[in-house]
Amino acid sequence: MTDADPTSETVLETPPADETAVEPLALSTVETIGTDIAENVSRVIVGHEDVIDHVITALLGRGHVLLDDVPGVGKTMLARSIATSVDCTFRRIQFTPDLLPTDVTGVNVFNQQTREFEFQPGPIFGNIVLGDEINRAPPKTQSALLEAMEEEQVTADGETRGLPSPFTVIATQNAIEPNRTYDLPFAELDRFMKKLHLGYPSPEDEAELLGRTVGTHPIDELESVTDRKTLVRAREAVSQVQVAKPVRKYVTRLVGYTRENAHIGVSPRGAISLLRASQARAVVDSREFVTPDDVQVEAPVVLSHRVKTNDRARDGSDIVADALERVPVEERDG
Amino acid sequence: MSTDTESRRTERTISLGGTRTGRSETGQTVGPGAFRMLALGCVLVLLASIVSVLRDVTQVVGGTDSLFVLAGTMLLAATLLARLIRPRTATIAAVTAASLGFAYYLEASGVGVGVVLSATESLLADVVTLVTGLSLLRTVEASALTLGLVPAPVFLSWYLALRGRYALSVLPGGFALCFLVLTGDAELTITLIGTLAALGTVGFGELDRRGGSIAQADLLAVLFALIIVLSLSVTFVPGNATGPVTLDRGGPSSLEGAIDSAGQRSGFTGQVDLSPEVRFTVESEQASYWRTGVYDRFTGDEWVRSGQLQSPNGPINSPPGKYDVARQVVTAETELGVMPVAPQPLSVSKGAAQYAEVTRHGQIHPSTTLIEDDSYVVESAIIDSDPASLKQAGTNYPDEIEEYYLQLPEGTSSEFDDRTATVTEDADNPYETAATIESYLRSSKGYSLDIEQPNGNVAEEFLLEMDEGYCIYFATTMAQMLRAEDIPARYVTGYTSGQQVDDNTHVVRGLDAHAWVEVYFPDHGWVSFDPTPSGERDEVHLDRLQEARENGRENVDTDESEDVPIRNDSDDGSDDGRSPDPTEPGPPDNETDPTNPDDPPNSTDPNGTNTTDPTRPDPGTTAAQDGDGDDADNPLAITIPREFLAFTAVTIVGLAAAVHRTGGRELYDRTIGLYWQRRRDDPARDTERAYRRLERLFEREFRPRRPGESPRAYVSALGAQAATTLPTDRSAESGSQPRSQGDPQSRSDFRSDPQARSHSQSPPTPDPTDPRVEHVLACYEQAIYGTGVTPDDAATAIEFVDELARERLPFVGPNSDAASNADRP
Repeated sequence: MTDADPTSETVLETPPADETAVEPLALSTVETIGTDIAENVSRVIVGHEDVIDHVITALLGRGHVLLDDVPGVGKTMLARSIATSVDCTFRRIQFTPDLLPTDVTGVNVFNQQTREFEFQPGPIFGNIVLGDEINRAPPKTQSALLEAMEEEQVTADGETRGLPSPFTVIATQNAIEPNRTYDLPFAELDRFMKKLHLGYPSPEDEAELLGRTVGTHPIDELESVTDRKTLVRAREAVSQVQVAKPVRKYVTRLVGYTRENAHIGVSPRGAISLLRASQARAVVDSREFVTPDDVQVEAPVVLSHRVKTNDRARDGSDIVADALERVPVEERDG
Repeated sequence: MSTDTESRRTERTISLGGTRTGRSETGQTVGPGAFRMLALGCVLVLLASIVSVLRDVTQVVGGTDSLFVLAGTMLLAATLLARLIRPRTATIAAVTAASLGFAYYLEASGVGVGVVLSATESLLADVVTLVTGLSLLRTVEASALTLGLVPAPVFLSWYLALRGRYALSVLPGGFALCFLVLTGDAELTITLIGTLAALGTVGFGELDRRGGSIAQADLLAVLFALIIVLSLSVTFVPGNATGPVTLDRGGPSSLEGAIDSAGQRSGFTGQVDLSPEVRFTVESEQASYWRTGVYDRFTGDEWVRSGQLQSPNGPINSPPGKYDVARQVVTAETELGVMPVAPQPLSVSKGAAQYAEVTRHGQIHPSTTLIEDDSYVVESAIIDSDPASLKQAGTNYPDEIEEYYLQLPEGTSSEFDDRTATVTEDADNPYETAATIESYLRSSKGYSLDIEQPNGNVAEEFLLEMDEGYCIYFATTMAQMLRAEDIPARYVTGYTSGQQVDDNTHVVRGLDAHAWVEVYFPDHGWVSFDPTPSGERDEVHLDRLQEARENGRENVDTDESEDVPIRNDSDDGSDDGRSPDPTEPGPPDNETDPTNPDDPPNSTDPNGTNTTDPTRPDPGTTAAQDGDGDDADNPLAITIPREFLAFTAVTIVGLAAAVHRTGGRELYDRTIGLYWQRRRDDPARDTERAYRRLERLFEREFRPRRPGESPRAYVSALGAQAATTLPTDRSAESGSQPRSQGDPQSRSDFRSDPQARSHSQSPPTPDPTDPRVEHVLACYEQAIYGTGVTPDDAATAIEFVDELARERLPFVGPNSDAASNADRP
């Protein structure tokens, strides 16, 4: 069930001391990293520049990504290319209906030699974790992810273990076959910074895509463009990007709008996610501060899956679109 | 940041509000209590305005003290009862008070309360007449009516105000004021004050009840100003020429206009001119003064005719003594609002009776304006009394004569009485008194039309202060002096006998307008006296006529009068034999006073046949009766500036409040603010304002920014829009090098060289893809969302927006364009 990844044997670094001493990168360097990754990924993924950008900003903004689409549009390929672009531990979990929580988190195994119980880390212990077809696993297994995604730690047999840093989950979800899948718990959905849709490629892109399949698959030749430590520092830099009060207020108004106009609106965690994504977006757009434009770019993918409506004709993305159109960007005179 | 701005804004609003309302003594510490005081104060002002109007009436007819006592009592009663009785009881009390007042009036006028039951219709008719412009002063029992009117509104208004029912409390007071406005008694200023007080009561009352702040009083200020401005510029309330809604004293500056501008009142003006136009001709065997109006009530600055007009059914009251009957045929030569007639008319011809109305005093008036060639026949009683018998007449006056013709305005000074007593101390009987006063005035005062209108009591001023005047001053003063001596007298207006063109035809011109006095003698009736020095008067008038003739003015002569030489006054004066003409029934008829050798009326007959003489060098003047009244330049010149200043101030305050209310600030931003921006110390604010200006520029050209649109999204959307619409024109104009707006390469080129870009720009509108726009936008984002801008960047941003705005201007834009075109290869 767990992917026999060759890197799984590498020693896992759990660096709490390391984290405090992280020195943020210069923002221009962060921007370059973002561009590099994007370029790298686009060697494998044809088109979908916006989705690639979103995944990168999520990566820089310390968020998890949920790719939701029909099978065969390159969800897994995208996740793998991202992971490959960063030189760090990549784990893959193929979710199935019989997957158990311990299959994800890891178990204590009795070591015959030392005659002690030894923790065998599960696949969740990676820097980039690909959760494939995540909605095929039952809620019990899903719940194993909750703690990991939010707090970057895992508790097994009463013992809490921190996850490596950076820790990013890129999950894919099958949008069809509703009878053989479980809906993700809302609490888990909320833990994903973004929910993205790839969609079918445009005819030109598809032609290009077909052309690339001749010979070796591009992903096999993909090389990393950055490493784990750089990514940690880049994240630190992004988290320090300035968010002025007007922008914070704008985010508050947007979130408030969804709460007033939908059954369940965006949670404060959603608002935080939006700000983090916007910070990353600002850096990618070579700015040292967040503008409402960043918020507007990020809001549809960050907020839509957190909004629940009772109205079948309108889903969360409609509400968010309304909010973006109606909520004033700037407060005008009182 | 924005909260700071907000609080600052609020502070500013409050302080503005404080000064704007003009009640800054309340300052910013306005609490509910202060509003209550203001509201109560306004009620008091409203009531005071009513009482002051009524006081103007009682000052003429008497009863001022009673009025004040009554009003005070009512205020006190309301104050005491405010906490004791319920509104319903109070209303009943007020209605009772009103009824009692009305009953008092009816009793006083001798009608009796019973009339309410028997003649409700005529009472209603009276009320209708009152509210359609009949002044209280013209009611026969003005004093009683005034006192009857006070208690109810004063009591009820104050009572309700004390109970906090402000809106209701305005009703009784406002109703009373409204009534006074409709009767024409309330003058403009008083009405305004009353109205504003009423408005203030409601406004402040509301603020008191709802706990509003002074900043909300701006609406009130707007209303105040609106009312004032409207009331000064709109005229719709019925009234007289001197009514409540005219700024000046109603135009007529001709002598005629001054005398007869309105049928019910005769006011005073300062300088007057004379119209040489022919008014009417009279065919009569006897020359006479032609009377057009009789007035009994003197207010101090005008004469009022009390009572109403009736149609002349049956004979008009004839004099009690002996009289001759004289028949006259009067033909109007122009439009005429009066019916000249020799006193005292007995009957009018059948045809004329249809449109003639008779006053209480026996004078006829036309109910419609007479037009040219209208004529009517009147028979008049010419009193046939010699001075000897008049001297014997005694002082046994009928009650009604004593009641109405001895009135003096309250507050007539004792000096006036003293001087009158001194003048008349040698006279033994009323006739001698009258003759003495007449001669005294003739000899001591000069005749001049060029005088300044006095303030205060005209009779007093003329007797004590002035040296010169014309007929109305002489006549008024004489009438008042006689009344001071308890001799019934009245003021009459009309025309002198005019130019006699043949044996029995008299041509009367506008400049023959005159005013004189009638004195009552028991068993004889009303006898005319003319205190105006006729010699001087004739001179002035003759000069005027001759000048008019020389200037070739039309309407100066009739066919007959043209050829008849105007007899000079000197002829008249030397012609002593003519004055004792028994056929002439004129006022100081020589026949009536030959026994008094030193009586000037004998020697200089005022109604000489040629009173037609022009002097006034003002050919542009015509009588008010012609419909084109002149500007009363003198009184206006003095009164207008002050009023105009006040008017302007009120307008400005109102506008300021309205601007505050409607966001005129924004209007400024939209117009002048587009092209100019004041630099401040705060670069962030400067940048923000610069961007706002830029946005307004775009707004005009494209569309306003949607609320959900970020500044950058807006600009780039406009850029896309411009790219789709402009390129075709642009490529056609710039010729060889069509430029693609969407091309990032070319855009970055421009950015590197903004100067070149701006010069090669052909459309005068701000181009969203202009690099200067990008700079402003970047600065704005930096200022609002980023770490702030440097003063240099802010200055550049302002400069760029200035440039962009000015390129839009019709003259600046094309010029720069032409220059750039010239530069082009």
